[in-house]
Amino acid sequence: MNPISRLGAMLIHVLESVGRYVRFLMRSMASGLLPPYRLRLLFKQMHFVGVESLLIVIVTGVFTGMVFAVQANVGFSRFGAEGLIGAIVTLSLTRELSPVLTALMVNGRVGSAMAAELGTMRVTEQIDALDSMAIDAHQYLAAPRILAATLMVPALTMVFNVVGVLGCWYVAVKQLSVTPGAFQARIEWWVDPDDIIGGLIKSSLFGLLLSSVGCYKGFTTSGGAEGVGRATTTAVVISGVLILTSDYFMTLILAPLSVG
Amino acid sequence: MKKVGIQLEGVKKRFGTQEVLRGVDLVVPAGEVTVIIGRSGTGKSVLLKHVMGLMRPDAGVIRIGGLDITGLRDAQLRRERFRFGMVFQHAALFDSMDVYDNVAFPLREHSKLSEAQIRIRVEAMLASVGLKDAGRKQVNELSGGMRKRVGVARAMVRGPEFLLYDEPTTGLDPIMTAQIDALIRDTQDANPGLTSLVISHDMAATFRIADKIAMLHEGRVILEGTAETFRETDDPRVRQFVEGRLEGPIG
Repeated sequence: MNPISRLGAMLIHVLESVGRYVRFLMRSMASGLLPPYRLRLLFKQMHFVGVESLLIVIVTGVFTGMVFAVQANVGFSRFGAEGLIGAIVTLSLTRELSPVLTALMVNGRVGSAMAAELGTMRVTEQIDALDSMAIDAHQYLAAPRILAATLMVPALTMVFNVVGVLGCWYVAVKQLSVTPGAFQARIEWWVDPDDIIGGLIKSSLFGLLLSSVGCYKGFTTSGGAEGVGRATTTAVVISGVLILTSDYFMTLILAPLSVG
Repeated sequence: MKKVGIQLEGVKKRFGTQEVLRGVDLVVPAGEVTVIIGRSGTGKSVLLKHVMGLMRPDAGVIRIGGLDITGLRDAQLRRERFRFGMVFQHAALFDSMDVYDNVAFPLREHSKLSEAQIRIRVEAMLASVGLKDAGRKQVNELSGGMRKRVGVARAMVRGPEFLLYDEPTTGLDPIMTAQIDALIRDTQDANPGLTSLVISHDMAATFRIADKIAMLHEGRVILEGTAETFRETDDPRVRQFVEGRLEGPIG
């Protein structure tokens, strides 16, 4: 095969995969809109995605806020503007760091688990068993997971925001001698609700991406234990890349919202 | 003449360049146990998935109790699936649930029975497969034979017209194999309205349970008949398979 046709074949393969993924996503979301509504499964997944991720999100959030305070101080102390540390860290957190880091942490924990669990169900014929009982596997397995992540990743992002600012406050006020009043006042001047809302909109898309890719990779697993491992790895890698690339485009789209 | 349960006419299926079913013609009589034998990879499982409507044939007709399912829309096909129970090769029990919930699952999903009525039905099913007290066991605590029994109970709980088994005795020891064979036979004999279709490559088991046998080879049925037909045939391909010999026309 000459290089051009090889490139073409690769392109077709990628487009086919994207098409299959989009069809999977559409079908899963559509099935979630139809009865029976599986609230018990939804709450179970919300617990798994949200409550069980709290600890890692809190730990990463606190330390991200703390390290950002230290780094911001390096720049701002040169012209005596330490009072701005709180504002700049809060802006970075709400607009960028919290949505992305939360999504990446949840992707590592939840996206991989979804791919592994559904992949195992696929290779042990449990998904076929659902089909054979005339139960829509998209509705039973994929829809609750995707909806749960779309709702809970923004919630976790909000937690990340709060603990991140607290971490920053600790470093700025307790170690760098920024006065608490200045810390708070600057944040109030500089940070708008739009900054927070924009970040939450992004994180909700990240939740949708990481869960649907995890579910899709699980559903399309083949080849036994090795296949489950492969599905899990590719799900995490693809979601990670998608989170970071879509972040740029989402930020461009949301930018007009927070300029005014 | 016997009533026809499932009928396949010229069913063909191809995956990429591989032609798995090359025109399968088969009649599965109602109210009997029919066993399809053949080597691994001859399309037996694919055939079963066609019967259940989980796959659609490229060509040919599949009739379930007289109804041609090949032209049905997805929603209709799904409704037809209510008439089936399927026992999977490795049972395919839901490992997120215990034994009781596995068996109760089809009822909870597809019937309006109360939990009390479900309990009566599930306990009767578990008793009929010899697992009266295993309801609260987790799936990963079960032996291979017990899993198969639970699989049978789950497949039978809604009282299907057709019960399909995908290699029900693979991976079981000889005694357990004999027990599962007896279970297949007993389940059929206790439910005269039931039609059982079993896929197997175990000849001894096949002779024990089958009212009718069909051999699938290279995507076609090459012989069908009773156990007698298979013991007496001169077809070297069937003889080699039945006797389990290394040399012969099958590579």
